[in-house]
Order: sequence, then structure tokens, then C-alpha cells
Amino acid sequence: MTDNPTKASVRFDGVQKSFGTVKVLEKFNLEVQPGEFLVLLGASGSGKTTALRILSGLDTPSAGQVYIGERDVTQVLPKYRDISMVFQSYALYPHKTVAENIGFPLKVKKIPKAAMEADILDAAKQVQLEALLDRYPRELSGGQRQRVALARAIIRRPSVFLMDEPLSNLDAKLRGHMRAELKHMQATLGITTIYVTHDQIEAMTLAHRVAVLEKGVLQQLAPPSEIYNNPANLFVAQFIGSPAMNVIHGSLEGASFLTNGAKVKTKVKGQIPKAVAGVRPEDCDVTNPGKGSIRGQIFTTELIGDHTLVTVNWGNDQIVVKAHKDFDGKQGDAVGVQLPADNLYIFNETSGERIR
Amino acid sequence: MKDVIVKFDPQNRSLMERLFEPPAIGKMAPFTKVAVYSFLAIWSFFVLFPIYWVVITSFKDAAAVNQGPNFIPFIDFQPTLDAWRINFTADPYCDIASIARQIYLLAHNSVVFVLSPFVSLQPMEPQICKIYLAFTNSVVISIISTIFCVAVGSMAAYALARIQYKPKFGNIMIFVLLILVVILISTYSGIPWWMSSAVALALFFFLARSIGRHFKMSLGNGDILFWMISQRILPPIVVVVPLYVMFQAVGLLDTHLALILLYAVANLPIVVWLMHDFFANLPIELEESAQLDGATRFGIFWEIVMPLTRPGLAATTLLILVLNWNEYLFAVFLATVKVQTMPIMVAAKNTGEKGVLWWEMCAVTVVMIIPVIIMSVLLTRFISKGVLLGAVKG
Amino acid sequence: MSYNIKNSQPGNSPAGISSGDKWREWCDRHAGSFFIAPAVTLILIFAIFPTIYSMVFALSRVRFTGDGLQFRYVGFRNFEKQFFGSSEMHFLGRTEPVSILGMIIFAVIVVAVFWWLYRSWKTASWVRMLGRSISAAMAIFLGWILCASLLSGNSIGTLYTTLFYVLFGCAVQFAIGTGLAFLCSQPIRGKNFFRVLFFIPLMVTPLGVGFAMRMIADVTKGPFEPILGLLGLQDWVWSASPWSARFVMVICDSWQWIPFIFICMLAALENVPRDHVEAAQVDGASSFQIFREVTWPQVVPVAVTVLLIRAIEAFKIMDLPNIMTGGGPGSSTESMTLHSVYIWRANDLGSSAAIAYLLLILTVVVCASFFNYVVLGQIRKART
Repeated sequence: MTDNPTKASVRFDGVQKSFGTVKVLEKFNLEVQPGEFLVLLGASGSGKTTALRILSGLDTPSAGQVYIGERDVTQVLPKYRDISMVFQSYALYPHKTVAENIGFPLKVKKIPKAAMEADILDAAKQVQLEALLDRYPRELSGGQRQRVALARAIIRRPSVFLMDEPLSNLDAKLRGHMRAELKHMQATLGITTIYVTHDQIEAMTLAHRVAVLEKGVLQQLAPPSEIYNNPANLFVAQFIGSPAMNVIHGSLEGASFLTNGAKVKTKVKGQIPKAVAGVRPEDCDVTNPGKGSIRGQIFTTELIGDHTLVTVNWGNDQIVVKAHKDFDGKQGDAVGVQLPADNLYIFNETSGERIR
Repeated sequence: MKDVIVKFDPQNRSLMERLFEPPAIGKMAPFTKVAVYSFLAIWSFFVLFPIYWVVITSFKDAAAVNQGPNFIPFIDFQPTLDAWRINFTADPYCDIASIARQIYLLAHNSVVFVLSPFVSLQPMEPQICKIYLAFTNSVVISIISTIFCVAVGSMAAYALARIQYKPKFGNIMIFVLLILVVILISTYSGIPWWMSSAVALALFFFLARSIGRHFKMSLGNGDILFWMISQRILPPIVVVVPLYVMFQAVGLLDTHLALILLYAVANLPIVVWLMHDFFANLPIELEESAQLDGATRFGIFWEIVMPLTRPGLAATTLLILVLNWNEYLFAVFLATVKVQTMPIMVAAKNTGEKGVLWWEMCAVTVVMIIPVIIMSVLLTRFISKGVLLGAVKG
Repeated sequence: MSYNIKNSQPGNSPAGISSGDKWREWCDRHAGSFFIAPAVTLILIFAIFPTIYSMVFALSRVRFTGDGLQFRYVGFRNFEKQFFGSSEMHFLGRTEPVSILGMIIFAVIVVAVFWWLYRSWKTASWVRMLGRSISAAMAIFLGWILCASLLSGNSIGTLYTTLFYVLFGCAVQFAIGTGLAFLCSQPIRGKNFFRVLFFIPLMVTPLGVGFAMRMIADVTKGPFEPILGLLGLQDWVWSASPWSARFVMVICDSWQWIPFIFICMLAALENVPRDHVEAAQVDGASSFQIFREVTWPQVVPVAVTVLLIRAIEAFKIMDLPNIMTGGGPGSSTESMTLHSVYIWRANDLGSSAAIAYLLLILTVVVCASFFNYVVLGQIRKART
């Protein structure tokens, strides 16, 4: 399968969308490179699906422009935008066979039947569905239906792929498998892909770059490693990572973070009365009660298999630490937690902004 | 074949596409808008015109009607209240007081009817003008019949949705056979009907217990449901004549009770059909958890299930109310003097020596139509929420 | 009767179960019977019993005596009268002579029916073949009457008038109703207004509709008089010619029943998943293509069900012909129900019941056939 020669860039320019009085998207600016896999990540209500629908043409923005390639497509019907979309529910036509579903975009353009059949077979082969072409959607499993939707999207060789949470209806095991397949397929075809999800694992694994959205505002646009290691604000920091980043309340004075009687050295300097320190579970350690930066009590321990998650109560906060798999502490034990200055992120509690 | 690239080109559209293509998803092209709205306007006119015509004719007098079509009040003709006066206030006893008296009389007569085996009370002959009598009768019969119909139908629909029935086919055949025997005996010999019915009923229970055990083939819920719903296919004309004879034999011929029961049965299939769909779609976990807590069937039905189906219940009730209000065939066969309903009054205007007095008839028709229009406006709000669609899909 | 948690657990009270609880428990165990008994009893008494009783009427000669009715068994004479005897013209219409055209079309019908029977001979069970034979027999009979009366240039009787109202009426109503529903499913403003407005005719008393239409259709005093004058038709009376009378009847019936189809089809159109339509829009389909490929196939099960319900009601039509033309001219707009009513008024109860039964048979066979071959097929196709 050769590279698609018509992959295009995508640009959102000051896009706003309100439904009545509710502002769903605010001054949304985003540039996607040709061939890039961009993930729009956010919770429900964050505006990510709205942005996708505006890009597809199913909704029109209240303000702003959308560009595909060099064309301003803001007021253009979806069919002229040269895009394909995979819906969350797959939107397979129940009364058509798999072959007819896949071939529908060609049928709409009135392509003669012989040419259609070859293309359908080709698309089906790419998703390993060539044996199921005569079945009906109701006879297929979830994963198979998803592949039919994919085949229908790629058969037209569009410039841009749009995907609206395509994996959320699959069970966990299948999701992992399909993630890998999607990534491989996109790399092979090289088509610009905009992918919407609320699952941060999908964002981390699939994306070239991730755009994190919250309440209609773009929080951060960066490759996954950058999002993970260098979050721009508290929301991004807490959204990415499983288990989530620990959050400790306190204040920043000079080069120290003061919290609940303990004083932790930080790499950044500042004077912020209400601050929050974030540290990932894998970056801290459990030690003896006297040795750590802070001292607390074990709330519970959970053996994951290759490591143990220890939840420590301390003041009003709870800290989750990834410990060795042979950790033998019990509920109620006193422990110390070591908070390394290198991996401590400091945020302004009110604005959420990261202090650098 | 890989060269077949499917791209749409806005410059390359056919004439039809240019005319009808919407400017954006969720909007219509101007040409489409014009076409759609004009068709809708034409049909709206078609719907409203007969109603409008009836309403203005009720305000015309004989001259205005007979001269030819007069379309606009105050311009083509002078509206009068003649028709309304003649219908509603000209006869003796036509006033508000007599309506109150009528309701009192209805209550009195019902008590008489219920107590009559034990106490002999004289039913009072109502002195009231016919149109008010008909109106009250219509209101009372429609409402009571609707409540009864929806109650009985909901219970049956709930039972069919949740409880498994297995009536034996053989038992049913025996029952039908016994009905036939009862009818033949009552018709061709001198034995009174209640005697032969009682004997046949006893015989049925006896046979069902003894022979019935050995029957293998049984029917299921789906068959019972189908039987109930398919009663709607029965043309009422098939049953009116026997019903007339039956009611006369029992002495129920000109009573409210007869019409109430009959209207209830006529619309029972609709209630069962609609409510069964609602009940079947309720999650059964709610009822199972109530059963674990020790609730009785009826308790679950009344306290848990019915409140959950309130919108469906309301929609069904309204629909049946309208159907009962409009019912004509049964009334014309079975109601002669005392229990006449509004449709009969409307039809009675059809016979006039000088030809139909259109304006009077229209006044009565308007009174008939107004409650219906109100009810149908209410009903549409329910339907627009998709409340009744589930039944039609299945 | 509300449930009481404490009392319905046996063994809770130290003295054992009281008799009140035993009664409640017995009621609950037989709740199945209690729930369904009223409905079943009512239907048995008021529907099943009279239907069977009506058969006795149809098979007898009934006379009014001093203190009631007197029955005399006459076998199928009442039925024979409708098909071969004095009522034949009224019921079946004039069936002779049969023209060449009639013969040809009848031959075509017979061949088609037998071919259909033959095709299902191999795959169907005993019971199914019986059903198909009944449908086939009815189809051939109706075909013969059609060819002998209408297609041979003769007049039709109440049987075919009823069928005309049903078949032609339902077709017209379905077409217009679905068209209206399609229009209303577009992104228009005031959708609810139209929905409410278009629903009203369905609920108006059929009697009222009859009178209103009769007034409006009156050629001298009705609103169409100026228009007819303009077209040069002022001497035309629609109620004088059989076919124009029947068409007017269908128009008026449609006024009342199109809303039913409209409401059901609109709900069905709106229930097509939005995703499907949007996916087709993104793939580039035009509105027409979307309707034909995506919307309509999902709406067909509802459409045939609605058609079946409408047909069932249509067979019972009586009020409109009664009010508007009194069955005339002659008996050309009489439906079978009306035919039965007029014979009843002439005190021939036996024939009245016979015609009622013939209507019942006709309705059951036609509707059951449609249900089995069309509706069930569509529903089975649509279900998972």
C-alpha cells in the first residue's frame, strides 16, 4: 500500500461554538501537520467532539475558520471537504451487507460496479475482513464492526481521517489489540488523522501530538512524552497518567514547598501562598518513617503484580506510591515518603498554572 | 482500479444538485425551502378549511346558507347566534340547573341499579332537554368507560408481559363448543339462557379438570396477546345484532352500563397492545428486587410499574377517551331514548322534512369537535416524545 | 391492596401465619388469573359470544314475534342469496357477460397464484400450506369477481366497493401521509405546530367529518361552487355518478385518516439513528440518496405495520357513505357494513348477519395474508 499523495494539513483558526448560551468551544486554535496523528483528549463536555464535528462539517462554528490544506472549508458541505469519519457507534447500515457498507461511498458517486468490487476487496483486505463481505452487521462482533467502519472510511482515500472515540464500545482486551492495529494502519497509509477520545492511554499510545481540551479551551498541545513529563497546568498533569499524579496542598516559599509541617526542597523558586505540589506515583518512594520528606500512615496497599500501590494518608491528602512488589507494609503502619525535588511539579492552586 | 479516486467537486454539479443542495448540514436550500413550506401550507389549508367551514356555518342563518357559499363572516354574511339558540336554549329545561339535576339523576339511578335486587327504588325520569342529556351522557360514558378500559387493559397487558400462561388448546376448544351448545339450546328450545349458561359453565370446569389434564398442546403468552389484539379486526356490525338481543334479554338495553362495558371492550385491544409494549420494555430488575422484598404482584403493579409508565398511560387514556367520545355504531343500535350520546344527536339532524338544517347541525358538530381538538392537542405532545412509537415498531 | 413487608414473610409472626395472610398469599399466587380474568371475560362475553351467536343468525331465518325473536334454521340460504340469488347484483355487482379482457386478466391471475403456491409447496409445512391455500382461494375468487364485473365493463357491488375503499384509499393515504411525514422531517421551523395541526382530523368524529364534507361537496351551496362555475362544470353533480361518488368518498376518508399515517411515519422517520444519516452525509450522499438507501429501509417495518392497521380499520368504513350519499347513487357507495345495516333496517336479520360474516371473512383473510407474507417478513428482516 503506497503513501497517500493527498494528505493534507488541518487548521482551526479562532473557532468558537455556542449552543444557545452555552459556550462549548472558545477561541480554539490548532494546526495539524500533514500525515500527523493528532489526538483531541478531554473529558465529556470539553468540546472535543464539537471540534471534530465542526471540522467534518456536520456543525458550523459560531465564529472562526477551518482550513483543510489551503482551502477555507468553514462553509463547505462535508462531502466537498475530502474527509472520512468513523463514528463512535460505527453507523453501519443494518440492512446492507459488509461489502455494501464498505462500498457505499463509491455507490454514492455512481462508480460502476466492477471498479467498486475491486476497491471493496482491497479495503477489506487491509482490515482483514475479506472473508466476511457477505455478512450483515448484526452478525458481526464489535471488533469486526469497527473494522468495517474503518474500511468504509479508507476506501475513498481522503485527505483527512476523523475518528470519534472509535474504541470506546469495545471491551478492554480488544481495545488494546485494535489500538495497535489503528496505529499501524495510520503509519502505513500516512493520512492525516484527528482522533477524539477521553481515554488518556489511547492518547499516549497513538498520538504524534496530543491536544488536551477542558471546557472548550486548549490546555496543552505537545507530543505524548512532553505532556507526560512536562504538563503545562494542573489539569493536564492530573488527567494524564495512571494512577493519577499525586496532589499535595501547601505553599511555596522561596525554594521550598511547605506543607503540613514538612518542608520539601523544590527546583523552582517563587512566593505563592496557595500552591500545590504534584508528584507521580512512580517518582516517589516509601521508606522508614524517619527518613522520608514527609511521614504518614498507610491507608491501604494493592498488589498489582509487578508492583504494589501504597496509599498513604498524610494530613488532608492521600499519596499513592508505586512500591516494590514485595512490599510488606500493612494498613495503619507509619511510613515515610521520599519526594525527590527533580520530579516535583509545583502549580498555583487557584489558576492551575505550572510554576517554572 | 486503484486510480478510481472518489472526490466531489463543487464546480462539477448537476442542475438538480445545484438547486437542492443545502448550504450546510441542518439547513435547506432556498428552492427546497419554498417547495417544502408550500406543500405544508397547502395541506394545512386542506386540514383547516372544513373545520373553518363548519364553524362559520354554525353562525349562519337559513338565508346565508341557501344563497350559496358565503366565505367570510361580516363581509359575505352577518353572523347570528340563531343556530346556537335553537339547539341549546330553545327547548324547555335547557339551562344550567337542569345539567346539575341530570348529574344528580345519574347518581340516583346508578344507586337504584346497584341496589335494585334488594331495595325497590323508583328511578326518576329526567326532565331535561335532549341536547344536554346527550352531552352529559357522552361525557359520563366516555370517562367511565375509558377509566375502566385502561384499568382492565393495563392489568391484562402487565400480566401478559410478566407472567407465563399456558392455556391448553383442548380446553379452549371445549369452551368454544360449549358456547355453541348454549346458543343453540337457548335459541331453539325453551330453556332460559341463564340456566343453560350456568350448566355449561359448570360442565366446562368439570371437563377441564378431568379431560383437560390429558391435553398436551398449549398456547403461550404471544398467542393470547395476538388473540386480544386481533379482536380489533372484528367489524362491529357482526356483533351489534346479537348484542341487541342479549342486552334486551338481560334488561340492559337502554342503560349506561351497557354502553360503558361495550365501549370498553371495543377499545380493549388498543390498550393491551400499547401498554404491553411499555411493560415489556421496563427493566425487570426493578420488579425482581421488589419481589425479593416480599411485595405482592398487585403491589408491584400499583406502586412500581404504573408510576413508571405514566406518560404512556396518559397518552393511551387520551386516545381511548377520544375514540369513546366519537363512537357511533354501538350507540345507534343500543341506545334508544335515555342514553343517547352526542353522535346520535348529530346524526339526528340529518333527517329533516325540509332538508338538512345545516346551520343547526354545524352548531352541534362544533360542540362535539371542540373537546376532541383540545384532547388531540394534548395527545400530540405525548406522541411527539415518541411515547407510542414502540408499539408500532413491534 | 398495598404490600406489607413484615406480613408477607412467613414465619415472621410468632404465632404462625394468620388467616388474613393466607388469603393474601392465595390471591398473590393466583395473581396471574386475577389480572387477566377481567379482560378475557369481557372479550368472551362481548366479542366471542356474539360472534358465534351471529353465525346462528346467519344460518337462520329470523322473525320478530310478539315476545322476541323466532329462529328457523335454513342452512346457507342467506349466504347463497348474496352470491347467486336475489342479492347478487347488490353484493357482487353485475358479473355477466365476461369480456375478453376480463378473461385474459383472470387467466393471468390464476397462473400467478398457482405458481406462487407451487413455489412454496416444497418449503412450507402442512399448516402453512393450508393458510396459503386459503389466501390463494380468496385471491382467485376476488380476481374472478373483478374480471367479471369491473374489467368487463359492468357495475361492481358492495364487495368490491369496500375493497376499493380499502385498497385505493390506503394507497392514497399512505402515499400522501408518508410524503407529509417526509416533509415534516426536514429541518423546518414550526415542526410541532404542523404536527399538532395535522393530527386534528384523525380525532374528529367521523360523523362530523361526514357532514362537513357533505356540506362542502354540495355543488350549489358549497364553497366549490364558484370554482366549478369557472371550470364550466356547474351542472356536474358528483353524487349522480357511481365512480365520482366513490372518489369523493375516498377523498373525504383520506382527510380523516392521512394524519394517522403521517404521525406514525413521522415518528419512524425521526427514529432513524442520526449517526447513520450523518455518516451518509459525510460520505457524500444527496438527500434523495440518503432517503432511499439509509432512511427508507429502516422505516419499512413500521410502514407495513401502519398499512396493516389502516387496512383493518378501513374495512369497517360506514359513517361516511351513510352520511354523504346514503349509499347512493343506487347502492354504488355502499360499503359492506352499510349494506348490512340497510338490510337490518329492512328487518331481514339473517341476511344482515350473513353479510356481516362475509365481511369478517374477507377482512380476516386479506389482513392475515398481508400480515403473514409482508409484515412478518419485514419485521424478521429488521430484527437481529
